[in-house]
Amino acid sequence: MNLPLAAVDFLSLPQQLVNGILMGSLYALIALGYTMVYGVLRLINFAHGEVYMLGAWVALYTSYALGFAPGATAGKPAWYVLPTMLLASMAACAIIGVLIERFAYRPMRGQARISSLITAIGVSLLLQYGGQLFLPTSPPPNIRMEVNPFQGNLNFNLTSPKKDLLDKAEGLKQPAEQAATTWKEAEAKEPDKGNLSPTAKSAREAFFKADNEYNDAKRAAENSAVSISVSKGYLIMLSITLGLMALLRYLVMNTKPGRAMRAVSHDFDSASLMGIDVNKVVVYTFVLGSALAGAGAMMKATFVGGTKIDTFFGLLDGVKAFVAAVLGGIGNIPGAVVGGLLMGVAESLVVWAGGSDYKDAVAFVILIAVLLFRPGGIMGSAKVEKV
Amino acid sequence: MSFRSSSWIAIALSAVACSFFAGCKSAEEKGETGGTTGASTTTGGGTTASGDTIKIGLVASLTGDQKPWGEDSKKGAEMALKEFNDAGGVNGKKVELRVEDSASKAESAKTASVKLVSEGVIGIVGEVASGHTEQIIRAAEEKKLPVVAIGATRTDLTANRDYAFRVCYVDDFQGPVMAKFAFEEQGVRKVAIITDKKQPYSQGLSESFKNYFVKLGGEVVAEVSYQSGETQFQSQLTELKQKAPQGIFLSGYFTEVGPLAAQARAAGIQAKLFGGDGWDSSQILQSGGDAIIGGFLCNHYNNKEDRKEVQDFLTKWKAENGGKEPGTTMAALGYDAMKLTLDALKRASAPSSDALREAIANTENFLGVTGVISLKGHNGNPPKRALVVEVRPESEGFQVYRKAYDYFETK
Repeated sequence: MNLPLAAVDFLSLPQQLVNGILMGSLYALIALGYTMVYGVLRLINFAHGEVYMLGAWVALYTSYALGFAPGATAGKPAWYVLPTMLLASMAACAIIGVLIERFAYRPMRGQARISSLITAIGVSLLLQYGGQLFLPTSPPPNIRMEVNPFQGNLNFNLTSPKKDLLDKAEGLKQPAEQAATTWKEAEAKEPDKGNLSPTAKSAREAFFKADNEYNDAKRAAENSAVSISVSKGYLIMLSITLGLMALLRYLVMNTKPGRAMRAVSHDFDSASLMGIDVNKVVVYTFVLGSALAGAGAMMKATFVGGTKIDTFFGLLDGVKAFVAAVLGGIGNIPGAVVGGLLMGVAESLVVWAGGSDYKDAVAFVILIAVLLFRPGGIMGSAKVEKV
Repeated sequence: MSFRSSSWIAIALSAVACSFFAGCKSAEEKGETGGTTGASTTTGGGTTASGDTIKIGLVASLTGDQKPWGEDSKKGAEMALKEFNDAGGVNGKKVELRVEDSASKAESAKTASVKLVSEGVIGIVGEVASGHTEQIIRAAEEKKLPVVAIGATRTDLTANRDYAFRVCYVDDFQGPVMAKFAFEEQGVRKVAIITDKKQPYSQGLSESFKNYFVKLGGEVVAEVSYQSGETQFQSQLTELKQKAPQGIFLSGYFTEVGPLAAQARAAGIQAKLFGGDGWDSSQILQSGGDAIIGGFLCNHYNNKEDRKEVQDFLTKWKAENGGKEPGTTMAALGYDAMKLTLDALKRASAPSSDALREAIANTENFLGVTGVISLKGHNGNPPKRALVVEVRPESEGFQVYRKAYDYFETK
């Protein structure tokens, strides 16, 4: 392998930043769930990634029910399918989140914090491995690509392709097409396609040469432009994410339950003394956080092509979202969004610098760095807390 | 002084001798106390079957990502076993198959093979994935049991090992076959390689492809990696697109290759796709969608071949599986691996692991469904032919034969 920095190509930097933001918005959505639960209960909900995983399964089965089972031909229209999947996934996750809180966390609430933490890890493992008993994970299914009718890309050219390269490609097009026709004619005359005669072979060589020259020139011309290409599915994913974040901000900052939530987050005991029903607030928090995870899972499983769904669906994304929450300052809602975006961009930049081997390691390097230099996170308080 | 020291030596020597004989004796005794039915004895090295049946182990991924391969290889192996037992077994003894699940994980493959060894099998057939097979070989060679791998193609798996064999070609051949096909038949000169860093199979295959492609005069313009389990490949694909390859070699398993192909096309990459036998599951059509159609993979045989072995196998398979053709090549390889082991057992001088190993190592010109298999003098790696097939929609038969390559030297 060459030195990583030798491979750096500044023309692809804008595209990589956009990739990072797209990935990061998903991390941010999951990180919100971690950070809200931590804010209210001072509990790191390690089962959050598994709630996210179950959201993907719900989305999968909803798509099956709406006519997108493997082998089925007639699916319902997209304007109906996609919102139904999204809502089903969010609703199911909200219920699962509340159940986990009610039966796993609430009985532990009076105990030492470490007990709740271990319980959270236990729930996470239970869902990961227990899920394999009931869910058809071998081989892992995926949501069919026909579910998402928004295929194709939107291209934004920041600079236009170089004129001379375009002309060169245009000039090579004609010979390439001609060589293709010659080769097709020669191939049609061949009795044994696996064992060509010398004339056919030379026609084929000529075709390969001309075709490669034309395609290379075309790609070189395309690559000479600094452009950003985003798939339409990703744009929808990003806009839904932003919409949900705005909604969350409204719910937390401008409604009565939101105010109660902030009060509980500020001081759990005093809030309960002030007549706030803390149990209700905790349930509300789990509903919001889990529903966001459900939305994230549905969007990832639907809009990222061919994503396989198994019981470890939430493992990697869950860990990264957790790091994002810590990076932004756990317990801090805007911090989770900033942390998520930074995580996504950091990962993209590592790949851009030629280190695709280390793409997943970067999450943990960031975690260690944050814990060492700024334990409170970017937007959190600097108060050090023992878990 | 001298007398005393030599007497000490004599005493020490006799003590060693005593313990040596005692050791031998206790081993013999253990052998005599072996039970009656299907029992076996494990001595210092190797296992000998006694009683009415001879046990052979099979490790397969019956759950997890690689279930399509595990199920097919198990069915194939069972078919071969049934034929053998129906024909009378060996010296009046039937062979009993012990099956353990490796759950598509290397750790479980290890536990499974340790369990089989303790149950007294005299040889193990299995696995498809190279990473899993490595664990089986380690567990088996400790007890001096022969292992016949089904589809594990990683080249160094059998290196310097007396107890590891396989019935498939190796990646040092598979990679060059695809390099040759891409270079000569598809005119690809600039290629990008995508490797699954978590899979020894993928790493080895990428390496052998790269070396031969460069040897042919091609250029490797980009190498990127991912880890099995990853689902988003946008950043890797952006880097790759910038290097404008004419072809992409994806050496991983179908579980990630499908999404990779789909996301590559979505990112506007129009290069031709090539891969190894890791693509071999029709599941790839689900996760890869239209993007994977027209990709090429290397495989061991094809259902459409008119060789007698293939057609006989398909007839028997269809009779037992409701008229359906096997979904993956591992059915035929599992059948071949088991049949070769049983064939060796027939030739073996005794129903023991040592004799079985000897007989397997001496296999010559065994007519398998997937081609002629010779193990004698090849250090466990049969020099076999390979096929290149194109991925087509299910309606056209999923894998359509394109070209066959007889074994050639790749160094």
